[in-house]
Amino acid sequence: MSTGPIACQTRNLSVAYRADPVLRRVHFSVPVGSVMGIIGPNGAGKSTLIKAMLGLVTPLTGTSEFFGQPLDQVRRRIGYMSQSTSVDWDFPTTVIDLVTMGTYGELGWIRRPGKAERARAMASLEQTGIPELASWQIGELSGGQRQRAFLARTLVQAPDLYFMDEPFQGIDAKSQQAMVDVLKDLRAQGKTIVIVHHHLATVRDYCDHVTLLNGSVVASGPADTAFTKENIRTAYKAREGAEAFLETAV
Amino acid sequence: MVDPIEFFGNHTFRMVFFGTTVIGLVAGALGSFAYLRKQSLISDVIAHSALPGALLAFLTAVVVLGVSGRNMLGLIVGAVTTGTLAALFANSIAARTKIRIDTAMAISLTVFFGAGMIVLRIIANGPFPGKGGIEDYLFGNASVITIADLATSTAVGALALILMLVFWKEFTLRTFDPVHSTVLGFRASVIDTLMFTTIVIAIVIGVQAVGVVLMIAVVVTPPAAARQWTSTLPGMVALSGAFGAIGSGVGAYLSIAVGNIPTGPVIVLTLFVIFLVSLLASPRRSVITTTLRRARARESLRRELLTETTDR
Repeated sequence: MSTGPIACQTRNLSVAYRADPVLRRVHFSVPVGSVMGIIGPNGAGKSTLIKAMLGLVTPLTGTSEFFGQPLDQVRRRIGYMSQSTSVDWDFPTTVIDLVTMGTYGELGWIRRPGKAERARAMASLEQTGIPELASWQIGELSGGQRQRAFLARTLVQAPDLYFMDEPFQGIDAKSQQAMVDVLKDLRAQGKTIVIVHHHLATVRDYCDHVTLLNGSVVASGPADTAFTKENIRTAYKAREGAEAFLETAV
Repeated sequence: MVDPIEFFGNHTFRMVFFGTTVIGLVAGALGSFAYLRKQSLISDVIAHSALPGALLAFLTAVVVLGVSGRNMLGLIVGAVTTGTLAALFANSIAARTKIRIDTAMAISLTVFFGAGMIVLRIIANGPFPGKGGIEDYLFGNASVITIADLATSTAVGALALILMLVFWKEFTLRTFDPVHSTVLGFRASVIDTLMFTTIVIAIVIGVQAVGVVLMIAVVVTPPAAARQWTSTLPGMVALSGAFGAIGSGVGAYLSIAVGNIPTGPVIVLTLFVIFLVSLLASPRRSVITTTLRRARARESLRRELLTETTDR
């Protein structure tokens, strides 16, 4: 394991929905400046892992630290991009207002966003390549544009550590390219990114670190040592998709 | 038929008009959040379950305190109490068992409303002073609104509206994306309690004038109509408040002007007219234009697909 500074670390994390275990004693850490892919089959607990780390799901055991501190101390340095299917897109609001919501955390209770926050929201929309959609109704956006709007909402927070839940899910090629460009930018700036991803063939394109998950951690570390045929086979057991992938790649 | 000049020249009728307008304004504006959080049905649970609370408040005032039972503040406190208990009961059944929320809400609503009907019968059969017209809590009677009632419901309604304005940013964030709101560090239970309080107030201030059975209409119909015309949250809340106020004021006027009909049903019908016009005539979301546009798009898609195959 690398000895550099650690962006986030999870020790002994277990989660159960009602009495069904989803994660068992998960232990892993993410070095500062890395892009960590959380990889695993459906139901492996990838989204749950992120949600438990961010306090959205109460863990049964274990703790998570961010930059050596508990979540509440460093909330503003952490951004979370959820799956865009998690909200109702018929909500009456515009794209710029949605992106401005990313600034609400630093504003705290009651204080309203002003011109400065709006200008930053606009800059985030430019970063994700959709400034012309600022005044659109969010309901008019395509799937890829929704994801980009969500990415912009995360960017406007200017976090040091990003959690992204399946950001490439169901998006068009153009949006995918826009997201990849942003990811590269963030990486060049030394930001840390934890990304839930399930498309095995593109893991190497985006991630330099990998955590293979299937209820518990199968392997975690630099992609070269963790993302091996054997580990993938263990994580996916004998799933057809993974077998087909293993025959062609890695 | 009472003409408008005569109507507004009469003190009682003025009370009726302004009382119901305030109720409609508050319920319509705050109903927007209930609508967007998809809590229309739980709002109905609260409305029906306000009955036993309002009646127990009457009994407490008359029997225990020996004062008049027809006190707006007492009514509100009682109604908020049982309305809240019913909502918590429904939610806790759904959270702890495999019973779905719709079933849990139906069970909660009927048991509280049933209990209310029993208390109503006890009051009707007993020797309680001021019990005349107590059954109006079911379908509403705006003509009994006094100046004190109007002052109380205006004050309580204004409190709810102020809470909404002060916590506008938090309400919006939590309504649109509850998870994001938590990640940004806003405690969910604080926002939910504040929002729930405002919605419960919006519902119970209408118990006397509109009645527990139909009050839900004033909470959900205006936002559903307003959403047809506007695409921003401030626009929706303002328009919904206006629709609620107009529908309630006009409905109350008609209920008195036309004859002695309970106020609730007439208000519901007036609001429904507004809703219907909104469904049909709104520029962007009209049922008619949407259907036509969809049919046209399908037709052109069909042609496109047919030409594609013949090209090949």
